[in-house]
Amino acid sequence: MSEPAAPIEPIVAARGLRKKFGRKEILHGLDFDIPPGRIYGLIGHNGAGKTTTLNAMLGLTACAGTIRVLGLDPFAHRARLMRDVAFISDVASLPRFLRVRELFSLLSSIHPNFSPDKAHAFLQGTDLKPELKIKNLSKGMLAQLHLAVVMAIDAKLLVLDEPTLGLDITYRKRFYRRLLEDYMNEERTLIITTHQVDEIEFMLSDVMFIRDGTLILHQPMEAVAQNFIQLVSNDPAQRASARALGPVFEETRFGQTVMIFEGVDRSRLQDLGALSSPTLSDLFVALMQRPTAIPEPTP
Amino acid sequence: MKAFVALIRREFLEHRGAFLVGPLLLVAVLLGSTILAFTVGRIDARFSGALFTAAPMRIYEWGFLGFAFAWSLYLVATLFFYCADSFAADKRNNAMLFWKSMPVSDFTVLLSKLGAALTIFPATIFVIALLSGALLFGVAVSTSALNGGGGFALLGNVAGVYAQVAASLLLVLALGLLWYLPFMAFVGALATLVGRWAIPLSLLFPALLSTLEWVVLGGGWQPLSTRTWEYLQYRADFPLTQGYVEAWSTTAAPFSFAAFATDLLTRISWVQIAIGAVFAVVVVYLASQYRRRNNRD
Repeated sequence: MSEPAAPIEPIVAARGLRKKFGRKEILHGLDFDIPPGRIYGLIGHNGAGKTTTLNAMLGLTACAGTIRVLGLDPFAHRARLMRDVAFISDVASLPRFLRVRELFSLLSSIHPNFSPDKAHAFLQGTDLKPELKIKNLSKGMLAQLHLAVVMAIDAKLLVLDEPTLGLDITYRKRFYRRLLEDYMNEERTLIITTHQVDEIEFMLSDVMFIRDGTLILHQPMEAVAQNFIQLVSNDPAQRASARALGPVFEETRFGQTVMIFEGVDRSRLQDLGALSSPTLSDLFVALMQRPTAIPEPTP
Repeated sequence: MKAFVALIRREFLEHRGAFLVGPLLLVAVLLGSTILAFTVGRIDARFSGALFTAAPMRIYEWGFLGFAFAWSLYLVATLFFYCADSFAADKRNNAMLFWKSMPVSDFTVLLSKLGAALTIFPATIFVIALLSGALLFGVAVSTSALNGGGGFALLGNVAGVYAQVAASLLLVLALGLLWYLPFMAFVGALATLVGRWAIPLSLLFPALLSTLEWVVLGGGWQPLSTRTWEYLQYRADFPLTQGYVEAWSTTAAPFSFAAFATDLLTRISWVQIAIGAVFAVVVVYLASQYRRRNNRD
């Protein structure tokens, strides 16, 4: 008889994660596990608590509740944790007074898992030369350099908080392509937040939607495709029948009615209009417009 | 340890302008001015050479001691501004999150800044002071030679004076840095909290502390006649120019490093240095705890 498979330890485990700034609670007791080898998209509008959640994972802020990353309390053991975790929180945060070669030389002494050879290899074929000063680089070059730095770190978890903010579409596409082709493997976990949801949808294995400090969706992308259906209908009678099935969202686009359903059997909808899977951005908009679970107190 | 040394190197790269480029420019300007002055006849090379020949050792000693003292003052002033700047630099440069993505604690990062203030920067200024002294002697020997003086005996004597003064400068820098360590740490810790406002606040804070003591516990006729102020004045005064230096300046005896060192080492309070070191570690630790909790602003 074969032994039962050992349960996979999550890379990140949060229980009752809460965070207050002053009297305002930003995170309202998040519970989630992130298993290894996945690509997570953490999506929410401005001020929803994305960065605070990431900061809690990275040990940059102290929170109530419990959070463990690679088995460690991030706030208590940030320095130890950063040997196995890499993150980009702002591409403009590279030290501007250094040259590219000085940065690589310093990092090879400071970070035990940084490989300057890999970093140089990632810059091959780009305009980034070792003698260039970081303060003279364009935004796109900064993003390339920062990505080369984190990809040259042999990390188990990579966290990217708005890594392509301010970059044009060419650089954004190149950024994500390099990340997927040259870095990701089944042992590495990637957590990414961005407002350009459609650009990362193709690479995600799981998605988390956060609204007002509460997780409102946390599912693998396959489950999202199964659970959510988009219906486009022109016929008033069909629309009425569809409404009776309780769409989570409805809007009119170019004279057509678009509805999104959660957990409704596809067979019950197929005669009511054209069916498809909603894009992540459509789903995001749909779920953000539900009544809030924890409404803001009236002043 | 490798990471700590790299962090000190990073400080040097970030602030090399104030501790290497600036001083080298100063030396270059000084040397250029001297050569120009001789060239255009503003200084009479023969008169200078005669002076160097008449009382060579005294001139060399005073000249190099003057340079050493000037560079020590430069170092003290620059380190004060360095501490106020560097402890807040990561926040101001928006590089805080990058350094926090490295596997080093905030305490280690701040200690490395203080470490740079105690090692690489003073060492750089020391080397530049030696260079200044060497150039001074070069000028002196050249003008002596123009006046028919010089020779190997003079060079040997000059080398002796050079070694005595250089060793004394090294000792003064080492002890001075230990003596002023709590001040540097305090300014740095304050900068972690308030950025460049640390410069005026670090000057204001002792006066406020003294005033507080005067109000609560009483004291002399005004807020600065208190024990706190008296103690701070004592701690701000490095006992350099009293003792041997004072006595030597009134005699014709050659400057002796051994006598200078013996005198200085017996007059300095090692208890105060130990108290200062403990204070420095405590305030840097407290500053690191603040930095741990504040990532951007």
